[in-house]
Amino acid sequence: MKLKSTYRILFILGAFALALLIVYVLSIAGDKSKGPIQNALNQAEQNILDIENSLIINKRENKRKEALVAFDSIRSDINILKNTREILLGASDNSTAESFEEIIDLEDSLNTTFPILSIYCAWGSKADEQFPKLAAQTIINLGSTPFITWEPWLEDFDDAEFPGIPSPEKRGKGSLKEIAKGTYDAYITKWAQGVKRLEKPIFLRFGHEMNDPYRYPWGPQNNKPKDYVDAWKHIRAVFDSLNIDNVIWVWAPHPAYGYFDAFYPGDEYVDYVGIGILNFGTAATWSRWWTFDELFGVNYKAFSSYGKPIMITEFGSLVVGGNRGHWFADALRQIPKKYPLLKSIVFFHQPADKTITSKVVSWYFINDPKTRDSIIEQIDMWPDSLKIARYSLTQ
Amino acid sequence: MKQTDSKNIWQFRQAKDVKLYDKFILLVLSAAGLFSIINLMEWWFQTKHIVNFPLFVILSTFFWYGIFRIILIWINYLGITKPPIVPKPKDGLSVAIFTTSAPGEPVSMYEKTLEALSNVTYPHTTYLLDSTQDPDFKVVAEKYGAVYLDLANLPGAKAGKVNKALSMTTEEFILILDPDHIAFPNFLDQTLGFFEDEKVGFVQVSQGYYNQYRSFTAAGAAEQTYSFYGPTQMGLHGFGAPVAIGANCTFRRKAFESIGGHAEALAEDLVTSMRIHAAGWKSVYNPVIVNRGLVPEDFGSFAKQQLKWARGVFEVLFVDYPQLFKKFTFWQKFSYGAISFYYFTGLMTLFFILIPPMYFMTGIIPANMNFAEFLTKGTPIAIIALAIYLYVQKFMVHPATERGFHWRGMILKYSLWPIYFLAFVLSILNHKIPYIPTAKKAVIGSLTPFARPLIWYNIFFLFSVILVFFNRKYYVPESELLFTSARTWGMIGFSILAFVQSTGGILAAMEALRLKEEIPWDHIDVNNISTKIIKK
Repeated sequence: MKLKSTYRILFILGAFALALLIVYVLSIAGDKSKGPIQNALNQAEQNILDIENSLIINKRENKRKEALVAFDSIRSDINILKNTREILLGASDNSTAESFEEIIDLEDSLNTTFPILSIYCAWGSKADEQFPKLAAQTIINLGSTPFITWEPWLEDFDDAEFPGIPSPEKRGKGSLKEIAKGTYDAYITKWAQGVKRLEKPIFLRFGHEMNDPYRYPWGPQNNKPKDYVDAWKHIRAVFDSLNIDNVIWVWAPHPAYGYFDAFYPGDEYVDYVGIGILNFGTAATWSRWWTFDELFGVNYKAFSSYGKPIMITEFGSLVVGGNRGHWFADALRQIPKKYPLLKSIVFFHQPADKTITSKVVSWYFINDPKTRDSIIEQIDMWPDSLKIARYSLTQ
Repeated sequence: MKQTDSKNIWQFRQAKDVKLYDKFILLVLSAAGLFSIINLMEWWFQTKHIVNFPLFVILSTFFWYGIFRIILIWINYLGITKPPIVPKPKDGLSVAIFTTSAPGEPVSMYEKTLEALSNVTYPHTTYLLDSTQDPDFKVVAEKYGAVYLDLANLPGAKAGKVNKALSMTTEEFILILDPDHIAFPNFLDQTLGFFEDEKVGFVQVSQGYYNQYRSFTAAGAAEQTYSFYGPTQMGLHGFGAPVAIGANCTFRRKAFESIGGHAEALAEDLVTSMRIHAAGWKSVYNPVIVNRGLVPEDFGSFAKQQLKWARGVFEVLFVDYPQLFKKFTFWQKFSYGAISFYYFTGLMTLFFILIPPMYFMTGIIPANMNFAEFLTKGTPIAIIALAIYLYVQKFMVHPATERGFHWRGMILKYSLWPIYFLAFVLSILNHKIPYIPTAKKAVIGSLTPFARPLIWYNIFFLFSVILVFFNRKYYVPESELLFTSARTWGMIGFSILAFVQSTGGILAAMEALRLKEEIPWDHIDVNNISTKIIKK
């Protein structure tokens, strides 16, 4: 096998050219089959879920769902859910990604069952940044309504999936404009289809605290208010184009940073107004002990001006700098008479929160009997018309 | 037996010639495979895949070690070469054939072996290196003109006897033949000519079998060697590093002398081969079938043989390989390295088997990968690997009986993971296993203890499935059930692969319970072996 050097070069070049051709053909075949393979795997997963549903879940005595039986007709009809007579309670707890046991422990300690369970979901290409179908379905199986906070962090998008997007550290600037332009429509569409497959409505809070220039990349340090409005409308347009009608849109600016109107997408695009009420007490240098009125009362006029029901999307107080039991008691006592548009309250029950302060703080009160008792006591005093009828577990 | 039958095993066979287009096709496929592997690698190592860092490192190490071996095999295939001509040996070379007998080996087998050796046409002296002290062996040796050497009570098993016999003889070339191998009359004509090159230390030929049809285990054990005694050794030959493994290697006495005699070790052939190479000798691989022997017919005997061999190879990895490393040529480093690392497969299999139980007990998974993405990135590699695997089968010495998917071989390889793992542990602890001669006849009528780990695994698997189901049905809270549903049953699905393979191993072991007693060499007619060259 003696070959002259030119023939050798041709031999090797030819082989590599053919090799590249084979790889190219195989990768095209791979790209073509990725969708169907993913669908087949999704279908297999769905089949497993269905089998477990029929063999396990449906055969269990679902005590939690029974406790919320009075809520079932409410959560099934989006128009009723959008504007309830009752005040809906809820909670979030991110300490365990794949469980709601902590929240169930909390509600047991408060002798209640929350109609709303709150979860957080970031945008991105990773597996846990897709529509949280298992969490949402679990919440529905448990008899509640999912409340999803949808945060447009853009760093995690894979540029193979979205060719031409800027490098991750540059995605903050103008991020909302990109969303409004449709750059991330593939992601939004897939996410929206996940929502559509649910059989019940959800609350959806997109890009919350968009008027805070310090905290999130979708804030005004990177975007104009109009970009936020455009992004919101664009997302709604994508959902509408898919005929999705099981979303209650929660618009939630930060109460401390004003300029609400500039960020308001418009009455026909918003169903609910959200507000975070967190008393950091003296845990941070910039903070002091704020009363509920100082946090919520002063803003109620502005927030109620939109004529929409209001949700306290994050409701909590730290323990340092005052009396937490009194704080909750004071808040819950006033709500029924003073704030008629306040229709849902979601406890921010997080054991390890480090989003604002430099240190990790705990919003847990499950181990604080005084706080628990004040909460139970005040809610018990609410008129029955504001409470979801609950079958006691002991009955 | 029809002489023209393409499946006739008592017929001289040689591998096909290697053409330029073969090299081209293999280069195209290997390059395409390499590009696909780079593609997979780029996808695999992403931070989003890491759930548990140490476990991800272990998983990646095992997985990429496996891929690396595949790449090595492909590179090796690029070297596939056949000696262009088999030189006709000069007249008058002095040649000895050594074959050994040990207590427990049936004398009837030697009737055939020695008769076949007496038919080998090139003038030679056959020596029977006996340690049975049984007069019957002397009788049969003398009946076929072999010299009987009484070599009882020597240390070092086969090598000890070979070295003693070397000191008692003077022939320049020595063929060492396992006693279960039936040599063809032209055996020496296919090897001696290569020694005309003064630098050639040994000449290895292919290894054929005649009892692979007897059982699943025999077929599987034979299948495991077909690629090795064909394309793999031909590749090593091309890169100047064919190894002497197994029986039927012809040595130059000077090569033995230069290394102080045949190595005494569990993997004695491998160590001898390495030492001869390290001493600077060349070697030749001639892809011809000029002898056929026995493979273990029952799972127990095969497991025993593999335990011994794997333990020996680990010893090579820890002792001989590092010692001789510097003296090897580049490709010898690769080929002996690849052989030395081979039996890590036991440890790897154990790791993969442990992933599901670890998940069920602790909830930990080593990586978070999208399975559909893995499939789309991995399938091209699998397709190319299969294409190469099937393509090189044309270089098997006797494709009509050897080619195929070798699934029996794969099941056996998998089922022996406890044995390979045991060999690994023994070598880490530096524990010896006694020399166990491989049984020449099937051990019939009992289930070998080597099948027990597989049975335990299967019981463990079924028990886990039941436990997992009841745990989910009655204990996992509804607030958690859905999250783990797909992953749990996916893990069970992954374990089913191991369960199926394990079951295959158990069935292979159970075959020994109903294997018919038969003496495999009974109906061999050593005078009816054809050395005619078949034109292709």
